[in-house]
Amino acid sequence: MNTGQYISGAAHIGLIGWALLGGVFKPAPEPFEVTEVAMISAEEFDAMMAPTEAPSLDSEMVALTPPDPEATETEPPQAEAPDPAPVIAEPDAAAPPPEPEQAPDVAALLPPEPPAEVEDVAPVLVPPVEAPVTAAPDLSDRPQTRPTTRVAPEPVAPPEPDVKIDDIAQDEAVDDGAAEVQREQQEQTAEEEAATEIVTEAEASSSAPSTSVRPRTRPTRVAQPAPEPETDTGTQAAVNDALAQALAGGTAEPTTPSRPSGPPLTSGEKDALRVAVQKCWNTGALSTEALRTTVVVTVQMNQDGTPETGTIRMVDSQGGSTGSANQAFQAARRAIIRCGARGFDLPPEKYEQWREIEMTFNPEKMRIK
Amino acid sequence: MMKRLLTLLAALMALSLPVSAQNGPLRIEITEGVIEPLPFAAPGFVPESGAARQLAQDIAQVVAEDLAGTGLFRQIPDSAFISQISSFSSPVQFADWKAINAQALITGAVDLQAGGRLVVKFRLYDVFAGQELGQGLQFAGTRDGWRRMAHKVADAVYSRITGEGGYFDSRVVYVSETGPKSDRKKRLAIMDYDGANVQYLTDSSSIVLAPRFSPTGDRILYTSYETGFPRIYLLDVASVRRRVLEDQEGTMSFAPRFSPDGQTVVYSVTRGGNTDIFRMNVATGQTKRLTSAPSIETAPSFSPDGSQIVFESDRSGTQQLYIMDANGGEPRRISFGKGRYGTPVWSPRGDMIAFTKQSKGRFHIGVMRTDGSEERLLTASFLDEGPTWSPNGRVIMFTRETQGAGGEASLYSVDISGRNLKRVKTEGGASDPSWSPLQN
Repeated sequence: MNTGQYISGAAHIGLIGWALLGGVFKPAPEPFEVTEVAMISAEEFDAMMAPTEAPSLDSEMVALTPPDPEATETEPPQAEAPDPAPVIAEPDAAAPPPEPEQAPDVAALLPPEPPAEVEDVAPVLVPPVEAPVTAAPDLSDRPQTRPTTRVAPEPVAPPEPDVKIDDIAQDEAVDDGAAEVQREQQEQTAEEEAATEIVTEAEASSSAPSTSVRPRTRPTRVAQPAPEPETDTGTQAAVNDALAQALAGGTAEPTTPSRPSGPPLTSGEKDALRVAVQKCWNTGALSTEALRTTVVVTVQMNQDGTPETGTIRMVDSQGGSTGSANQAFQAARRAIIRCGARGFDLPPEKYEQWREIEMTFNPEKMRIK
Repeated sequence: MMKRLLTLLAALMALSLPVSAQNGPLRIEITEGVIEPLPFAAPGFVPESGAARQLAQDIAQVVAEDLAGTGLFRQIPDSAFISQISSFSSPVQFADWKAINAQALITGAVDLQAGGRLVVKFRLYDVFAGQELGQGLQFAGTRDGWRRMAHKVADAVYSRITGEGGYFDSRVVYVSETGPKSDRKKRLAIMDYDGANVQYLTDSSSIVLAPRFSPTGDRILYTSYETGFPRIYLLDVASVRRRVLEDQEGTMSFAPRFSPDGQTVVYSVTRGGNTDIFRMNVATGQTKRLTSAPSIETAPSFSPDGSQIVFESDRSGTQQLYIMDANGGEPRRISFGKGRYGTPVWSPRGDMIAFTKQSKGRFHIGVMRTDGSEERLLTASFLDEGPTWSPNGRVIMFTRETQGAGGEASLYSVDISGRNLKRVKTEGGASDPSWSPLQN
């Protein structure tokens, strides 16, 4: 009974609902306008709505943008701006083109006027001693050292005629307008031609031996030291013990306060410094007596590798008079200052090791023979 | 024994120290450098009066030419200068001169005062040290002596930089040659070391040879064929008066040279086909024979201390160099190379002997130590001969003659290193130079 009532009730409710919702009692639908819509995200909606909120957002952006690094990265024009800034700082000091009336910083104008340099060097490049040599039919095929007015540890081939002579060979750099970063213009330079030894006219024009060798005296026999007397076994054992103890490494002294700390310079780093100094050590204008004088010079170094010129001092000299030692010292000082002007190539992390340098200038190989 | 053990232990302990330990400063040794002319700047000297304007330019030019002419210095052209020197007393902008790599800077001023008195002053700067090299100097003289004052400035600069004396304020006496080889006229001439201010001391009526300066530069010895035979004459430079020094009948005398004190002359005499070396007291005329070998001994030259004489002799069969005591005695041979050695001249420094060498058909000017070691030939040509030393013993001047009928003799100079070989400016041909000492 109840079951039949429930079924009948549900069927009536469903019929009444269909009649109400199914539009059985509604009038016929009126015509309507169809409009296309698109799905947008909340951010896009905010962006669309932003103009309406401009007054309040404007002040907020000004305050937020500068410290936000991502903001500059996402905006290409603003990202370019910070890059040129440090680059421009250097050309500003060195390159006058933007403001021709501004006095140039002469300290930065390393290359002098090119025509003048070339004119100055030209006579040097022409070997003056070859012209008078007419009687040289018996030249050997051996490669001969070219007579030049410059002698250097390493031979240097004659540079191109138009190349400026400088202590350091550099490639040419020109102003390239298309490049984003402007390079400072750099004239091509080359080291002056050099031979490894002085070649006289007599040596240059003939392969014949030019010096007569005097008969040498027989070397005196060096007295051999007397053989060590053999030690007894007890002593030998004591020595062995001491040797083992010493090699165990337990006897290292504590570092004295005056000893520089940190790793020492490698032999390569020392060689680089030595080569750099000797490139500027010109003994060409020294007297023969000064060329027999060895001077020991100390110098305090700045952290950028440049010498403190006021600290260059001669601490010792050997082999000559006071006057010749002074001449030799002057040549040594010029070498340190000249080639150190741009800073020696020394490892900054080992500054404590080269804060003070002692250089011995030994001209034995530079003497007139 | 214990002491030795302790020493051994100490050595082992030293070895066992960490490799990184470094005592005191970083030490390096520089053994190789470069040999090249030292660049200097010599901006025009400042004229301190309108009349001195041209002189100021000329003096600065002579100073620069003196220095550059040594081969030890290189002048930086004015066009490279960043700044100029407008006042002698104004401070120097070292950075401007460093930038053009001027290692020495010479500034100067010239004033031509009333009465024709010329005043020249200069200062020398070590640019990279940023300080003056020595003190400023001032020279005063007549206007005519402007070249000498310029040379003195250059001498002072040279001396301060190199550490050895200069040689610019000096003169050279030589034989001036004119005309073709078959009829060549020869006369004595004297000039500044650089070829300026030539004066002729004799006419060309007779052949003259081998003039030699006295140690003070006021007298000249030379050989003349005035009588038909070679004779030695002594000439006073100031008065140009001369007298025969050696005149023995039946002899030929030649190759004279003063002793360092100027009181003695050594020379060669040929008598009966034999040539030997004599010495003579200039004041008394007293002579002494120093060699007596049957061979040819000639071209004597004193050592600077006057104790020895170097000369050439063929007593060994070939022409070689020998040294003997200044009063004679047994000579010792110092040249042993192949070829013939001649015209030895002792260096003013005393450490070297310059000579002429003939070998394989060529002539050389060379130098060697006084014991004959370290021989080094500086030149080579068809004919080089007759070396003479600069007052500081750094440069050698000599005669070079070219080959052929049109060949001409001229003077050349060369640094004792063999560098800077160059011709000396002379009017026409020139031979047999003799360098004076520095003038006072």
